[in-house]
Amino acid sequence: MGKIRIPTRVLVVDDEKDFVEILSNRLEEAGETVSSANSGQECLKVLDEKTIDVVILDIKMPGMDGMDVLKEIKKRHPLVEVIMLTGHGSTETAVDGMKAGAFDYLLKPADFSELTKKLVGARKRKDDQEERIRQAEVKLLLRKGGNI
Amino acid sequence: MDAIKTLLVDDEKSFIETIEKRLKKRGFAPYLAESGKKCLEILKDSTIHIVVSDVKMPGIGGIDLLKKIKQDYPAIEVILLTGHANPNDGVEGIKQGAFDYLTKPIELEHLIGKINQAWDKIQRIKEKKEEEAFRERMKKQLIANERLASLGTLSAGVAHEINNPLAIIKESAGWMNTIISGMNLSTVPRLNDLKTAIDKIEKSVERARRITHQLLSSVKKQDTALSEIRLNEFLQETIHLVKRSLPEKNIKMSLDTRHTDGILWTDPYQLRQILINLFTNSARAISNEGWIDLTVADTGDLVSISLKDNGEGIAYENLEKIFEPFFTTRAPGEGTGLGLFITRGIVEKLGGKIEVESQVGEGALFTLVLPKFNKNCDTQKGRN
Ligand SMILES: Nc1ncnc2c1ncn2[C@@H]1O[C@H](COP(=O)(O)OP(=O)(O)OP(=O)(O)O)[C@@H](O)[C@H]1O
Ligand SMILES: [Mg+2]
Repeated sequence: MGKIRIPTRVLVVDDEKDFVEILSNRLEEAGETVSSANSGQECLKVLDEKTIDVVILDIKMPGMDGMDVLKEIKKRHPLVEVIMLTGHGSTETAVDGMKAGAFDYLLKPADFSELTKKLVGARKRKDDQEERIRQAEVKLLLRKGGNI
Repeated sequence: MDAIKTLLVDDEKSFIETIEKRLKKRGFAPYLAESGKKCLEILKDSTIHIVVSDVKMPGIGGIDLLKKIKQDYPAIEVILLTGHANPNDGVEGIKQGAFDYLTKPIELEHLIGKINQAWDKIQRIKEKKEEEAFRERMKKQLIANERLASLGTLSAGVAHEINNPLAIIKESAGWMNTIISGMNLSTVPRLNDLKTAIDKIEKSVERARRITHQLLSSVKKQDTALSEIRLNEFLQETIHLVKRSLPEKNIKMSLDTRHTDGILWTDPYQLRQILINLFTNSARAISNEGWIDLTVADTGDLVSISLKDNGEGIAYENLEKIFEPFFTTRAPGEGTGLGLFITRGIVEKLGGKIEVESQVGEGALFTLVLPKFNKNCDTQKGRN
């Protein structure tokens, strides 16, 4: 408490505009930096333009299927973490999604406190990953430097 | 094939007794009646296939007897014995539905021949009826299946559509909660009323969500993965999963796989769904402490998985109803009553059956019987 928290840059993607709006409000109130998109295409566009840590992605969207969007995100921005929102009662879609690289999933309608917990987890995984890459780069630089 | 049961009717006692003796030698064991009246009495108590009756008898005559038999026992075939002097009796008899007639004095071989022909006819009719009944049953089953399938698709679709507005309601209520949490009683006099109301909205959303998710759990993804399941591992894993979700109760769970080779070809996701539903029900029926025994056994092409608990049991009058949609004995909001309905739907889709045995206070036994090798395997395997 009292510690300054760096906000997570979240992108909420759902074709339900009301849902996106209200969830964004809540996340911003909780201190995150929120962007939004109403379709898969828009989501990919936002990712090209802004730095995003975590995408909250509705898996069932018309147009580009959520699963395709997920794969595309992971291909273009492998470090961006994705939390899926699925409408499916069964866990099949969720399992498929995790195989495709999603961090975790939530069944819609989801519990906000659970969502927040998963956001923290996703953010942490991304930070760790970036840290490892940084260290690897440093090592590489040092080695190169030694050769000169 | 059951033995041919014949009944000989004639007022001439010595006549039917001789025929009886000779028929017996040929493996028949006919019943005897000395009058039409006696004949009808016997028909009331015994199953008879073929009646061989004289036409000229005091009291009820052969033709009247024939009419009566055809009216009350249409499946019985009647062979008439007519006198030499009255060739018209036979023709009249056939008009009235007799199988055929023989003219006295009769030859045993002729009689046996006729009896056998009549028996063939009875068999043919029986087979045809069975076939028709079978076809009728299949038709009904098919219609029921189709109706269930389309009902499933429809309700899953509806459930899915409802989840979206539910999510919005839920987030909005949560959002309102966040906002008013930062206010104080002096600025908002009825803050507590507001909080209670929001709380109710959230609880109701949770309740509706349980219904939609139950409904959605019944839809099969098109590319269902039918695969070989190693039951031991699979069931251990499922038990583990269930135990973790029920930490508040002290329930012993055991698994007996001694009578199975441990292999089952079916859809693991759906099997898990079924078991979780059954486990959850059992766990809820157990107050604080108890046990659930899972037993698997192979019988030919089938595998039975039975789940026995020592919970509160099910009242006799509810045994039929528990598989109906929305039947629940739990408090509103605590059970949807869809669990077993959906479970049965899935079981049937997998080509199996589910049955229940229970008495109040004695726990419940749910038995699931599935084909060891799912028929759909062959057609579906290739697609995965
Ligand atoms: N093992 C059991 N022991 C006692 N009663 C049972 C058992 N399993 C089912 N029942 C009875 O059958 C009813 C219907 O079960 P079903 O699973 O369909 O719905 P539910 O459990 O009430 O609700 P839901 O599954 O949606 O939470 C239950 O309410 C309960 O009365
Ligand atoms: Mg249940």
